[in-house]
Amino acid sequence: MIAARPAEGAAGRARTGISLGRRVRHRTAVVLVWLSVAIVLLPLAHMFAMVTSHAVRALSPKLFTTSTAGVAGGLENAIVGTIQLVVLATVAAVTLGVLGGIWVREFASPRAAFPVRLAADVLAGVPSIVIGYFGYVTMVTWLGWGFSLLAGALALAVIMLPYVLRATDLAIGRVSEELRDASTALGATQAATLRRVILRSALSGIVTGALLAVGIALGETAPLLYTAGWSNYWGLLPSFTHNPVGYLTYVVWTFINQPFAEAHALAYAAAFLLMILVLLLNVVVRRVIVRHTEEAR
Amino acid sequence: MIREEDATGREHRDPGIVSLPEEPVDEPRANRAMFVLDGFDLYFGRAHILKGITLEIPSNQVTAIIGPSGCGKSSLLRSLNRMNDRVPGMRVEGKVLFEGDDVYGQSVDPVTLRRRVGMVFQRPTPFPMSIFDNVAYGPRLHGLAKRSELDRVVESSLRDAGLWDVVKDTLRKPATALSGGEQQRLCIARTLAVDPEVILLDEPTSALDPSATTRIEELLQRLAERYTIVIVTHNMQQAARVSEDTAFLLSGELVEFGPTDKIFRAPDDRRTEDYVTGRFG
Ligand SMILES: Nc1ncnc2c1ncn2[C@@H]1O[C@H](COP(=O)(O)OP(=O)(O)OP(=O)(O)O)[C@@H](O)[C@H]1O
Ligand SMILES: [Mg+2]
Repeated sequence: MIAARPAEGAAGRARTGISLGRRVRHRTAVVLVWLSVAIVLLPLAHMFAMVTSHAVRALSPKLFTTSTAGVAGGLENAIVGTIQLVVLATVAAVTLGVLGGIWVREFASPRAAFPVRLAADVLAGVPSIVIGYFGYVTMVTWLGWGFSLLAGALALAVIMLPYVLRATDLAIGRVSEELRDASTALGATQAATLRRVILRSALSGIVTGALLAVGIALGETAPLLYTAGWSNYWGLLPSFTHNPVGYLTYVVWTFINQPFAEAHALAYAAAFLLMILVLLLNVVVRRVIVRHTEEAR
Repeated sequence: MIREEDATGREHRDPGIVSLPEEPVDEPRANRAMFVLDGFDLYFGRAHILKGITLEIPSNQVTAIIGPSGCGKSSLLRSLNRMNDRVPGMRVEGKVLFEGDDVYGQSVDPVTLRRRVGMVFQRPTPFPMSIFDNVAYGPRLHGLAKRSELDRVVESSLRDAGLWDVVKDTLRKPATALSGGEQQRLCIARTLAVDPEVILLDEPTSALDPSATTRIEELLQRLAERYTIVIVTHNMQQAARVSEDTAFLLSGELVEFGPTDKIFRAPDDRRTEDYVTGRFG
C-alpha cells in the first residue's frame, strides 16, 4: 500500500504530463480568448436588448400597415422604400461587381488589373457622405432625376460595388490551381471551368462579400439624404425618378431628435427592423448556399 | 489473371498484384507507340526545363517516369496533354506525336486532346459537388445529358475504379466527405468517365497511406489492359511494381529509357544506377 503510493503519483503525473507553467499559460490563454469574445458580444447584446426594449412600444401590426405621418404613424413607407432601394442597388452592384471581379482575376493582364483593384480599394475608403454628395450633384441635379429611387439606389450601389468586386476577385483567387487543372484535364474550356467549378467553389466567398455589402447598404443614411430624399408615401410599382423615397435609417436618424415618445419608439422600431433584416438575410442566404454547394442539383 | 512470372521474366512482382494481358513470349512487344517524342524541348520563359527528350510511350501498358525532385517529371507529363499551356512564357521545340498527330501542331485542339489524354494529380481534387456529379462532370461537359446514359457511365466508371460498392448508396453525398484514397479513386473514375485512351498520373499515391496506395496500384494494373498509362512516381518500388518501362530523367534530360527490369537491375548509365540504388536524389 505504502509502496504503491509514489508509483501512483508518478503515473498520475505521467498521464497529464503537463507542467504547471504550461497549464497556467493554457488557462490564461483560454480566459483571454473568452474575454475577447465577451468584449465583442456584450456590447452587441446590450445594444440589441436596448433597441428591442425601446422598440417594443411601437411593435404592432400597425407598424407594417400604415405609413409615417409627421413623426408618428407606422413604417410601411420606410420598409418598402428600404427594400426597393437595397434590392435595386444590390442587383446593380452584384452584377457589376461579380463581372468586374471575374474580369480582374481571370482575364485582365496584371497591368490592367492593378488600377482596377486600386480604384476599388480607394472607393471602399471614400466616406459615404461624399458619395452621396457626388450623387446629388450628378444624378439629382445635373441629370435632373430629383430625389428619387434610382439616384438613391445607384449611390448605394457605388458604395457596395468595391466590396462585391474585391470579394469576388479574392474568392476566385482562393480556388486552388489544382481544381482548375483537374477540370481542364477533363477537357473543359476556360469558360466551362469558370462556370462549373471555379465560381461554384468561390460562391460562398462571393456571397459573403455581397452580404457584407448589403448590410452596409441597409445601414447607410448619409448618401440617401442627398439622393433619395424622404417621403411619407410609397408605390408598389415605383417611379424611378422624380419621386423621393422613404427609408428606415432616415427614421432612426431624424425621429430620435424629436421630443416625442412616439417618435423615439418609431426610431427604435426602425433600428430593430434593420437588425432583424440583416440577421435574417445572413441566416437564410447561408442556408441556401450550403445546400447549393454541398448537394447535387 | 495472376502469374508468378510474366513473359519478360519479371518474377519479382508481387503475384497478388500482377494482372497483365497476355504477351507473346520471346517476341518484341506488340504494343504500338501511343506517344512519340522527338527532340522535345520545353522552355518556361528563359528556363530550359526539358532538353531534347526522345522516347516512345507504348500503348496498353504502364510506363513510369522517375527522377529527383525538380528534374522535370511533371513538366514532361503535362506536356503530353498540353497542361503547360497556361504557364507564362511556355515554348516548345521538337515534336510530340500522339497517335501520329503533332500535339503542338495547328490541327490539334488542346481541349479535344485532353478528352483523349486524361490526367490524375498528386492530391485528390474532388469538385465541390456530389459524388455523382463529379463523375458525370466530363460526360456532361461533352454533351451527354440523358439521365439513363449518365447513370450508366457513372456506374461503370465507378466500378472500373473499384469504388462502386463503397459509394453506390451515397452518390448524392458531397465527394469531399470521402477518404483521401477514395477521393483519388473517384478522380480516376472521373477521368475514366470521359473514355480517354491515355491516363497520365502525377505521383497519384504520394498523399495516400500504404493500403490506399496498394489499391491504386492494383487498379492501374487492371486498367493497363485497356488504357495506356503513364505514371510519375518518387517511389522506386512503385515504379518497379507497376510499370513495364521506365524513363529516368535528370535535370531535364532523359538519361535512360527502357524495360523497368533493366533500369533497376542493369542500367546502362552510371547516373541511373546511382539513382535507383539510392546514392542520390
Ligand atoms: N509553372 C512554372 N513556372 C515556372 N517554372 C516552373 C513551373 N513549373 C515547374 N517549373 C520549373 O520546372 C522545373 C521542373 O519542374 P517539375 O515540376 O516538372 O519537376 P518534377 O520533376 O515534377 O519535381 P517534383 O518531383 O518535385 O514534382 C523546376 O525547376 C521548376 O522550378
Ligand atoms: Mg512533380
